[in-house]
Order: sequence, then structure tokens, then C-alpha cells
Amino acid sequence: MNLCTRGVPKLAATLALALFALAPAASLAQAATDTDQWIHIRVTSRDAKGEVVRINVPIEMAEKVLPAINKDRLHDGKVRIESAQVKDVDLRAILDAVRTAKDGEYVSVQSNENNVRVSKNNGVLYIIVTDKEHAKKAVAKEDAPKGTKASEPVESKVEIKVPMKVVDALLSAGKDELDLVAALRALSAHGDTELVTVKDAENDVRIWIDSKNATE
Amino acid sequence: MLVLAKIALGLGATLAMTTAYVFHEGVIRVDVDEHRPGGSHVHFWVPATTVSAGMRLASLVPQRPLEQAAEQMKPHLPMFRVMAKELEKYPNAEFLDVTDEEQHVHIATVNGKLRIDVVGDDQTMHLQVPVETLMDIADRLEDASRSARAREWHARHTKHSVVFASE
Repeated sequence: MNLCTRGVPKLAATLALALFALAPAASLAQAATDTDQWIHIRVTSRDAKGEVVRINVPIEMAEKVLPAINKDRLHDGKVRIESAQVKDVDLRAILDAVRTAKDGEYVSVQSNENNVRVSKNNGVLYIIVTDKEHAKKAVAKEDAPKGTKASEPVESKVEIKVPMKVVDALLSAGKDELDLVAALRALSAHGDTELVTVKDAENDVRIWIDSKNATE
Repeated sequence: MLVLAKIALGLGATLAMTTAYVFHEGVIRVDVDEHRPGGSHVHFWVPATTVSAGMRLASLVPQRPLEQAAEQMKPHLPMFRVMAKELEKYPNAEFLDVTDEEQHVHIATVNGKLRIDVVGDDQTMHLQVPVETLMDIADRLEDASRSARAREWHARHTKHSVVFASE
């Protein structure tokens, strides 16, 4: 066996080891698929500092990580709610009534302070709250030290869109508990959706779900 | 001449294999710059394998620093482990981006490495750790926590036996 022939096994071993070294990167690249659902949170501050917070979390990761966090009221992916907070309200009964009811507008309140609308359409619950009073107070507080004429108040508007299946999953844990993991699973199955939009004088908040792994 | 060539080939192959092994987990990079007169500038990189190997060695030190670290990390260890495992599935993703007047914080994975970048007016920090190394660290800490518990149980058990025997 000549030198070249003898060197071949060593060379092969080196190459094999080099391939072994590169293998994890290759397998990692295949791991995440395009079908993964991500929950995105974006908070944009309207003030001069212009703070922007963008959070992107894969729902699958959140489903796995949440049960591993045991702190305060969060245990095994469930949040314990104080019974005092919902003492006089049977949340389950209300949601059950909403679920079985026909599509339509259930609550519509219009006042000088707030406008509230609660409706259901195609298995999705919509809650829209417009707070006029908060905006007026914010503007008055801002203009008071300057002694200037009051500027135009920006209404604070909250829009929440929740699939009923997610609500069911959230309440599936039992009394006084919210099952966050089950809710995430239900959200993931629901597909791309806009969940929360908040617009007020101070911030714009948007929470939504899609299959992109970065905020647009 | 032939013998020298054989030795050179052997050494070369060994060196290549060692290098491949040492770098197979990638490199940990740390860059810290303080933007003030006399501020510190820390720039270093180490093969991630040496961190894993170092943690194994640390478990043999009599003072058991790893067990102490594991005890401190104990409440967060399950979350850290799950997070590290899950991060492996997302080799290229952006998780957090916070921008304000003074700072920019960015947490993402790039080619299987966790990158944390903090760029501020007074300080800049860049950290890059292979996700695989995070898993290794979680494993080592869990092992250390387990052995600390076992030692504690053994010590308590032995103490009870001594008390029982003396009675």
C-alpha cells in the first residue's frame, strides 16, 4: 500500500468529521417550516422619543415554554384568576350564551365618555371600545403646563377580535383558571388573524398572528 | 523522507480532526464597548466546545461552582432548557426588537446562533452563542442540580442513620 492509499482513510475520517461538524447547521435550517404560526406584538409610541417594540414568538415555542414557567399566578400554562374579580359574573354562562346565539350585535353603548360594541360574526367575537374621556383628559394634562389652547383630542380605540374556539379553549381549564396553552393551540389552528388593535394618544398597539417569522 | 511524510500526514489529519471537533459547535463571540473616556473594550471569541468541556470540568472542582450556579438558576432552569430546545427549530428568526431614543435592543437567531445586540449611546454589546451550546449549558446545569439534590439527600439520610445508630 503506497503513501497515497494509506492517507485515504485518514482523509476520509477528516472529511467525515468536517461533515459531522457542519451537520447541525444543515438540520437546523430544515427544522422550522413555513407553516409555523407566529404571534406578533408591535407597540409604537407616538411621543417624540418614538419608541418601537416588536416581539415575534412562534406559537409552538410559546406552547412549550409556558408550562415551564411557574411564577405567581401562572402554573402549568394556566393562569389562576381571583374569584373575587369575577364574583358576581358567571363568565362561562355568558360566553356559552354568546356561543349558541345567532350572529349579531349584542351590546351597543353610546355615551359622551365611551362607545362600546360587542358583536359576533362567523364564530368570531368582536369587541370595540372607543374611549373619548381618556383622550380629553390626556390632552388637558398635556396642554395645562403650556397654557395653550386645548388641542384636538385623539380618541382611544380598542379593537379585539377573538375566535370563539379560542375563548372556549381559554376557559377549558376549569373554574378560576384560564388555559393559555389550549388557547394558543386554538389560535394556531385558526390561521392568520388580527387579534388586538389599540390606538390612543400615546401608543399604537397591534397583536396579530401569521406565518411570517418577522414583523413587516 | 517517507517516514517524515507519514508523520506530517498523521499530524495534519489529527490537527484537522481536532479543529473540526473544537469548532463543530461554532464560536461564542462577545463584544462590549463602553463609549466614555477610559471605558472598557472587551472583544473575545471562544470555541463553544470549550465552554461545554469547561462546564464538565467545573463539576469536578471541589467547590462545585456549577452546583451553586444550578441552585441559583433552579427556578428558571426548566424554562431555559425548553427555550434552548425550541430555539433549535428556528435558526433564522427575529424575536425582539426595541428601539428608543437611547438604545436599540435586538434578539434574533442567525444561522443557528442566538444573537443579542444592544446598541446604546454609552455602551454597545454584541453577544453570539450557538443554540446547541445553550442546550449543553442547560444539560450541564440540570445534571449539577440533580447531583446537588442527590448529595443533599445522601447527607440527610446518613445523618439520620447516625442518629438512629447512636440511639
